[in-house]
Amino acid sequence: MNAIDEDDALIAAALKGSAYAWEKLVRRYEGRIYNLGLRLTGNSSDAMDLMQEVFLGVYRNLHRFRGDAKFSSWIFRIAHNKAVDMNRRKRLMTVSSWGDDGDSVDVLDTVPGESQQEPERQLNALQGNELVMAMLARLPLSQRLIVELKIFQGLTFEEIAGLQDISENTAKTRFYSALRKLKVQLEEDNVLS
Amino acid sequence: MSCPKTPHLLQEYFAEDLSSRPGQEIQKHLDQCAHCRAELDLLLSTRDQLEGWQEQSVPHWDRGMELFRREHRSPAQEQGFFARWQWFPTAASFAMLCLMLFNTTIVADGDGVSISFGAAGGEAQIARAMEQFSEQFSEQFSEQQQLEREALVARFEARQDNNNVQLLEAVMQQSQQATAENMELVYSYFEQQRLQDLQAMRAGYQELLDSDYQTIRSLQQLAQYVSYDDTLIPQ
Ligand SMILES: [Zn+2]
Repeated sequence: MNAIDEDDALIAAALKGSAYAWEKLVRRYEGRIYNLGLRLTGNSSDAMDLMQEVFLGVYRNLHRFRGDAKFSSWIFRIAHNKAVDMNRRKRLMTVSSWGDDGDSVDVLDTVPGESQQEPERQLNALQGNELVMAMLARLPLSQRLIVELKIFQGLTFEEIAGLQDISENTAKTRFYSALRKLKVQLEEDNVLS
Repeated sequence: MSCPKTPHLLQEYFAEDLSSRPGQEIQKHLDQCAHCRAELDLLLSTRDQLEGWQEQSVPHWDRGMELFRREHRSPAQEQGFFARWQWFPTAASFAMLCLMLFNTTIVADGDGVSISFGAAGGEAQIARAMEQFSEQFSEQFSEQQQLEREALVARFEARQDNNNVQLLEAVMQQSQQATAENMELVYSYFEQQRLQDLQAMRAGYQELLDSDYQTIRSLQQLAQYVSYDDTLIPQ
């Protein structure tokens, strides 16, 4: 039984009420979703929130899942949308405290990190996952999502374009801009020699 | 020193599937232009930094199990005809688990197959494992189901169900040593098997309903398959 068939079998069993199948389905994907959350939100508490929202969304919509798409694509679509929602909520909270209506700002392009009091740490003081999270935190969400989907989830630009409802060309441009921006930051903070 | 082609060229470079080789035109320019090459190297090492991500393990959480159990407390399709059967596959899995755990040997001779427990461990170990097993499932079992399960375990052992023994042998061949580590694997395999068996039985039952009990023989076969008491079935 290959991975996709196994997903389908687990979904069918979960829909019939098998708690075991549900748990197994969650276990198959929780690591990928949690790590995605860490990279997108930059901290474990938000990553947990995101992951729980994703699986709640999966649970609530499982009966709508059709076998013609891969479950993995479906769950990443949910994760993508939840990340955007979460960012929007954070933005609303911070925007209202600034007394700005914020309507002119693209939801995707507001960095939650920007409003926080914590000063950005110098990248060269960091390494490993901390460094990656700090790098990504400096990107607007739209770019962060593209980097996530392209580099960490290995999606094609075509798939990304479908997910973000943009053209394939825009997706390519956005990815390149994100990578360049990250490079400039690493240079400025002397991480790249 | 700079090159006017850099932005367009590198954007094209990264627009390709990341694992594939760059197109000839791009490669040709990169071979000639040190500036573009240097810029590309920086972008690639930026990507390497990102790819250095180490997967972090998920903190403990409930996995939505409480919600799931609450909303599936008495699933309709488990009632009625199948309520009596639904733990049979678990019983079979349990019996097989015992066999795995206690160094059981299976001897096939002309008359059939016989199963004997190995010397290691002994009854105390078996009792402990049974206790653990019961604990693990006590949430899910009503008392009556538990009794049924025990009866079914006994029946399973008595009948030495050929199919299951064959399955067991296959599993035992695959995992020679029953270490704690692979027990979990084996166990999840059994659980999976149980789910599949259950689905197969349901499908079989549904077919029977559809054919309006036309074929009593199929019902007998089905009953045989799950070791159901065949005196209940008209001959
Ligand atoms: Zn050049």
